[in-house]
Order: sequence, then C-alpha cells, then structure tokens
Amino acid sequence: MLAVLPQLIVSGIATGMLYALIALSVTVGYRATTVVNFGHGDLVMAGAYATFVFVGSGLPFAPALILALASLFLFGVLTQRVFMQPIINGPHLSLAMMALAIGYAVRGGARLEWGSEVVILGRPYDQGAFMVGSVVLTMDDLVISGFVVALLLTLAIVFHITPIGRLIQAVFQSQRGAALVGLNVHAFHGMMWGAGAALGAAGGVLLGLLVPLSPDLGVYTLIRGFAAMTLGGFGSPFGAVVGGIVLGMMEKLLGFYVSTVFIDITAYLVTILVLLIRPSGLFGQRATVRI
Amino acid sequence: MATPDDILVARGVEAGYGKKQILFGVDFAVAKSEVVALLGANGSGKSTALNTISGFVRPLAGSIQFEGAEIAGKPPHQIFRRGVIQVSQARDLFMDMSVEDNLRLGAWVRGGQVADLLDGVFQSFPRLAERRQQVVRLMSGGEQQMVAIGRALMGNPKILLLDEPSGGLAPIFVNEIAAIIKALKKTGIAMMIIEQNIKLALSVADRFLILREGRVSQHHDVRSGAVNEEEIVRSIYL
Ligand SMILES: Nc1ncnc2c1ncn2[C@@H]1O[C@H](COP(=O)(O)OP(=O)(O)O)[C@@H](O)[C@H]1O
Ligand SMILES: [Mg+2]
Repeated sequence: MLAVLPQLIVSGIATGMLYALIALSVTVGYRATTVVNFGHGDLVMAGAYATFVFVGSGLPFAPALILALASLFLFGVLTQRVFMQPIINGPHLSLAMMALAIGYAVRGGARLEWGSEVVILGRPYDQGAFMVGSVVLTMDDLVISGFVVALLLTLAIVFHITPIGRLIQAVFQSQRGAALVGLNVHAFHGMMWGAGAALGAAGGVLLGLLVPLSPDLGVYTLIRGFAAMTLGGFGSPFGAVVGGIVLGMMEKLLGFYVSTVFIDITAYLVTILVLLIRPSGLFGQRATVRI
Repeated sequence: MATPDDILVARGVEAGYGKKQILFGVDFAVAKSEVVALLGANGSGKSTALNTISGFVRPLAGSIQFEGAEIAGKPPHQIFRRGVIQVSQARDLFMDMSVEDNLRLGAWVRGGQVADLLDGVFQSFPRLAERRQQVVRLMSGGEQQMVAIGRALMGNPKILLLDEPSGGLAPIFVNEIAAIIKALKKTGIAMMIIEQNIKLALSVADRFLILREGRVSQHHDVRSGAVNEEEIVRSIYL
C-alpha cells in the first residue's frame, strides 16, 4: 500500500497545479475588484471550448490557445464594463448574482451549441510516460505542471518588477485611495477581471487535455478552485497556489486509501472543515470576504 | 470676479446625490499661488464642492475650469493628471502598506523624479522619514494625515485640495499640520482648504468663502484687512 504513496503524491501535485491555476485566477479578480466571480467556472469552460473552436478552424494549437485566452480576456473586460461596473456600488450580493448570471448565460450558449455531442479537445503532443524510479510521470503531468509553473513564475515576475502587483494591493486596500493617486479604477477593474478570465481559461484548456469538454465543466472546476482558495486562505495568491496543490494531493490520497468517493467530495469536505476549524485558511489574514 | 491669474474657476456649480441636491449654484475662483479657505457648518456642502472639483461627484450644472480647460464632470483620474490633487476628508490611505509605498504610489501617475519627490516630502515631514517602513495602520491620526498630504505632494500638484486636514487631530498635530500648510504656501502652490478650525484657516488663507446650505453666503479677502473671527464663526453657525 505504501509503495504507491510517491506515485499518488506526484499525480496529486500535477492535478493540484490545475486547481492552483484556477484558484489563482479567481483570486486575481477578487483582489483587484473585491468581488468574487461566481461565474468564473463557466469562463474556465469557455476557454476550453474557444480553443477547440480555433483549433477546429485550422489553427495550430499554440496560436489557437493564445487567441482563446485573448478572447476570454476581452470577454472579461467587456462583461465587467457592461454588466458589473454600473452596479459596482450596489450591494455585493447583486454583483455576485450578476457574475453568476453571466456564467449561466455562457453555459447556456455552450449547451445550445455543443449540448448533445462529445467534444474532445485533443492533445497537441504525444501521450506517453516516463519512469522515474518507481513513479510513473505522464506527459500530461509534465505539460500541465510545466505550463502552470512557467505561468506562475511569469506572474510573480510581472507583479514584482512592474507596478501592477502594488496597484492591485492598492485598489484592494482602498479604491478611493487608488483614484486619489490618479488611477483609472474603472479601467483597472475591467483589465483585472479580464486577466482573471484569461488565467481561468488557461486552466480550462489544460483540463480539456485530460477530459472531454462539457458545458458543465465549470461546476467541477469552480468548487475545486474555491476549496483551494479557502484552504490556502481566501484572497491570498500564494495560498491559492498551495491550497490547489494540497487539494490535488488530498483527492488522490483519500481516493486511494479510503474510498474513490473522496475524489469527488474532498473539495466540499475541505471547504466545510476549513471554514469551521480555521476560517482564515493556511495563509489568509482576516476573513473580510465580501461576496 | 475672475482675474487672469485665476487657475481654477467655478461658476454656477450644482451637485447632489441621487435626488438630493446639495450645491445650488456655487461660484469661486483660486488664483495662482493663492490659498482659499472654504468654511461652513457641518453638512453645508464643503466636501461635496471639493469632490465636484476633483471629479468624485458629477456636477448637475455649471462649469469648472482649470487652467482654462473645462473639467466639470470629467472622471477623477483625468482631473488628477492635470495636477488637481485632493487630500480627502477620510484620507483614504493604503492602510496595510508602508509610509514609503503610500508615498511612491502618489507619484505613480504623474511620474517625475520619484527619489527627489520622496526626499522633498521627507524633508517637510521628518516624522515620516523616521517611519518610512512603518505600516500606516499603526500610525496616529496626525501621522496618517501627514502621509495623506505627502502622498498628494508626490503627485506634484498645481493645486492642492485639502479637506479638513486638522479634523479629529490632537492639538499638537493641529499645530504641526498648520505649520506644514504654511510652509507649503511659501512654495507658491495654490490651495483650496476646508477647515473647521477657523484660526488655522484664517492663518493660512488669502481669501475665504462661507458655504451655507449649498450656496456661497459670504466672501472675504483676508489680505484687505483685519477679519473678525467671532463674526465669522457667527455667520457660519447662526
Ligand atoms: N455620498 C453621499 N451620499 C448621499 N448624501 C451625501 C453623501 N455625501 C454627503 N452627503 C450629504 O450631503 C450633505 C453635504 O455633505 P458634505 O458635502 O459632506 O458637507 P460638509 O463637508 O460641509 O460637512 C450632507 O447632508 C450629507 O449628508
Ligand atoms: Mg466634509
């Protein structure tokens, strides 16, 4: 039984990387706008379908991916501008409902177009596996982990050498303060909402390498993204990443050693337990979540 | 009323929140290097007037010109770019950042030599220089007010709009803030300042206006002669 432990951990990390990316994408939008995008899962799903559409139109995978992410970025900017901004000073519940409604509309669109067929995105590389000691590393594991790590590094660098990271913090701490130092807060919100959508879409594409696409993909991803965020500490980018990786490992370990049921319910259990026992999660500060 | 030296000229400004109108045709002007105090009882619309200049409140009618360009109804970031910079009544600092980070963000949009600007602010506020790495949340109200004024100065303002800079501060800080504003005045920067502390206001202002129920009820030039403080207090509150 213990002999498979290293294997479970390695596969868990690879899956966890995906959750980490999705949790981080929600966190970026939340940190920059103080609004949680409850429709985010559907943008993750839309990213996968958009890539599928661009590949179907004859583009190679990489340009299709870039176009898909750009489309989702634009979609995020536009929906924020048109639907969220006009009610930005209203109750947070209205914003949550609006985000959810946008997500449902996207899901509805996907159902109309692809509701009754199985859509496979397909891998742009050969499936394969390597043995490292007693551990099997699949190409999927490598591609997903490599892509996410590269993306995280890029983001870390961008946030540290450009003012963007500091500005996100500033807007999070005081929107009025950010406006008082001359920032166009509306435009900034739009851009960050778009950036969150594009990051989430990247997660959707990675997920689409592993499973067939379905309009309900977002539900599967969002609950895991939220669980990862809760575990890591809501609003903490670092926590989102660690939470995602830990969640991925827990799913695999509990799924193997206890029951396969846990693969599906770990995310819910983690959310409930963390909220009950340690609401601030691993790296969160005060729990000042405004939904 | 407007002279060629005026950099900020407001005429017939009306503003409000939703259906509730607060300003009913307000006129004023601020000349180059001039300090104008805006006095008035609580709720008379002083902050609303200042926020209308800086773009946080959209005027319903009227004109606000800065250096000859119409700025009424423009968004705050565009007005900021012209050098109209506000220190708000609530200060609106980045509470979980250090003093230095707050100050640096103040220079972010308008650019300039950030190191020189920082040096300048630390020279005017030695207290902040000693605490440059301190988190703002842990500072006293007076120190926070200094950060707020310093942050605005980092934007290299052409006119500084100060909303009750001495509000809620301990007496020693009131004196310190008064000294700072006087020093700023010597540098030749134009200011519009809201103050409840009439003594402070009259010690720095060249002119003052009294706002009453959303209208300018009085208008005095301090330079033209002695002003009777008691009389002013009476005309504000009675
Ligand atoms: N954001 C707001 N929404 C609605 N009413 C406001 C708002 N801000 C101020 N008011 C109202 O406008 C009036 C003038 O307020 P204000 O301009 O802040 O006065 P002052 O600064 O002279 O004390 C007050 O009656 C106040 O309650
Ligand atoms: Mg006020």
